[in-house]
Amino acid sequence: MAREKRQKPVWYKLDNAAMMYSAIQKENYSAIYRFSAVMTELVDPEALQRAIDKTLPRFPGFRVRIKRGAFWYYFEPNGAPGPFVKEDMKNPCQPVRFGEDDGWLIRFFYYGHRISLEVFHALADGAGSLTLLRTLLAVYLRELGHDIPNTDGVLDIDEPPPREEQEDAYFRYAKSRVRKGMGDRRAYQGNGTPEPFYTLNVTMGLVPLDKLRETAHGYGASVTEYLAAVLIEAILAKQRREGRRRELPVALAVPINLRPHFPSKTLRNFILTVRPSIDPELGDYTFPEIVAQVHHHMRLHISRQEMQAVITRNVMLQKNRLLQIVPAPLKNLAMAVSYKIAGCRPYSTTFTNPGAFQVPAVMEPHIQRMEVILGQSYTPRANCASLSFGNTMEITFAGTVKESEVERDFFRHLVREGIHVKVISNREE
Amino acid sequence: MSYCVNCGVELDATARACPLCHTPVQNPNRPVDAELPPPFPSRRKEVQPASKKELALLISAMFASVAVLCGVLNLFFLHSGRPWSLYVVGAAVMLWLWLVPPLLLRGMPLWVRLLLDSCAVGVYVYLISIDLHGQRWFLGLALPIILTGGAIVTALGLILSRGRSILSSVTLIIGAVGLFVVGIELFVDRWMGGSYEPGWSIVVATVCIALIIPLLVVRHRPALRDEARRRFHM
Repeated sequence: MAREKRQKPVWYKLDNAAMMYSAIQKENYSAIYRFSAVMTELVDPEALQRAIDKTLPRFPGFRVRIKRGAFWYYFEPNGAPGPFVKEDMKNPCQPVRFGEDDGWLIRFFYYGHRISLEVFHALADGAGSLTLLRTLLAVYLRELGHDIPNTDGVLDIDEPPPREEQEDAYFRYAKSRVRKGMGDRRAYQGNGTPEPFYTLNVTMGLVPLDKLRETAHGYGASVTEYLAAVLIEAILAKQRREGRRRELPVALAVPINLRPHFPSKTLRNFILTVRPSIDPELGDYTFPEIVAQVHHHMRLHISRQEMQAVITRNVMLQKNRLLQIVPAPLKNLAMAVSYKIAGCRPYSTTFTNPGAFQVPAVMEPHIQRMEVILGQSYTPRANCASLSFGNTMEITFAGTVKESEVERDFFRHLVREGIHVKVISNREE
Repeated sequence: MSYCVNCGVELDATARACPLCHTPVQNPNRPVDAELPPPFPSRRKEVQPASKKELALLISAMFASVAVLCGVLNLFFLHSGRPWSLYVVGAAVMLWLWLVPPLLLRGMPLWVRLLLDSCAVGVYVYLISIDLHGQRWFLGLALPIILTGGAIVTALGLILSRGRSILSSVTLIIGAVGLFVVGIELFVDRWMGGSYEPGWSIVVATVCIALIIPLLVVRHRPALRDEARRRFHM
């Protein structure tokens, strides 16, 4: 019997950020985020499934399962059937189990008008996943009989996936002579009462973008800087209410998309975080002062040279021969500890703004708004994320925390500045 | 559309209360719409908690292989007339009892775990006593001390797991130490001389009580507590 020649499966290494996310993934922490599109029509799940089946071959980086090697995790193409569209649930962004659900690291859901994509952060960052979602929505609308062109970031699903979309861009730009470390001070953690296993409280605010931009520009800041400042103010107020004798700095982790600074077509991770912070021990800051601090911090530190030095340091750790031969379980343990020290302790919360979701003009009437949800954080606190489409800026607070004081103060501040806010939530009243 | 009277944000037509401040919606012109679907699904779903069976299996296999290997070596090859492998087997059994049941039984209450852990210590000491032909000292001295220690640790664990302040925890721990020391002397005296003659343990217990009394006073006087916090920068 002629044995079929077995094809060697292609596999690839995790990029720098992916290593961290896969090492720290555990039972009650979820490095999963969700992007949703709220359509104008009710979602047709069968058409959506057809669209997924057609779109995913174009995105091999998402059709993978994660495997544990002796020294590192690695990705391997996933030949299992699926992923299948599922009915949505109340508590999104459930943690990922590497062995279950046929090894899929992405999930698709529908509910009413909403199409949701959940991605394990080791696969891709926001920019990469939004490209997948944009293309999927275009293919879905084509399935419903609309004519959608392959422009404005919609990828052509008939062309073979180019190699540069799978590139580990961190590796290419790790060329700085200086390796800059991140040894940041402990920040106020702002933890609340944890919810029972596994509840994710989501509160979304819908804000008109033009008014928000006008207000932000009034302070001489961008929308991201302005929202980060409002969030810092809300967390400062929470710390003040707790009546601590010695107040800690309030600092945000703000992920920055590196593609505008370092040209790359990668759909995988290519982000770094900056850390705008306010130290209340120096004295009380007025709101315009907080905005100015955040604005200048971001402008000062988002520089090509400085970010390249940080990339170089991160990648050097990965390239280090001595560290390479440490077995994977030990490495994961060490990474989990170092994440707590370097990735969790210096930040009060995360605020991410992937910016405006662009689609071809003919797609625009089919979409009401876009939504984003970050998964559960290591500690009981709410993460903040925002995404805009058309004139609607959607701001989400999500966390496994009972209290809603940070989001309350955040949205009340916007209302005080004359910005209209509509709030929706999955919380039980 | 209804607005929250407290926060000034617009609410969803299906919302009964403001998600931010929980103020109920009362709008006579526009009652809460129970027909419309809510903005988020109400169906809850949970992924299975990560299975720890594999890890438990791996640990069990490691301990079992070490224990069997030493037992076989002891029986056939390195037979020195003494069951030395019992030390290894005992250690393996003790570590297994410490590590594996908590992995397999997720909702194991703390007191069960602490009792099991002290029983594991008892088993280990029993195996040592077999090698040393020390049934007498095991039953007369070691077992009562281990059981008393286990009971005290279990009680302490139960009380402390409910989240006590630093002062209360320290007070309780000092009290437990004093109690345990008195217990040790009681058993040692009874085993050595047959009768209990309180001696050195009373000194230790008195020191413990002398420490506990000021701690209790500080704990229950708010002014003193604040003073202690200030002094120690807590």
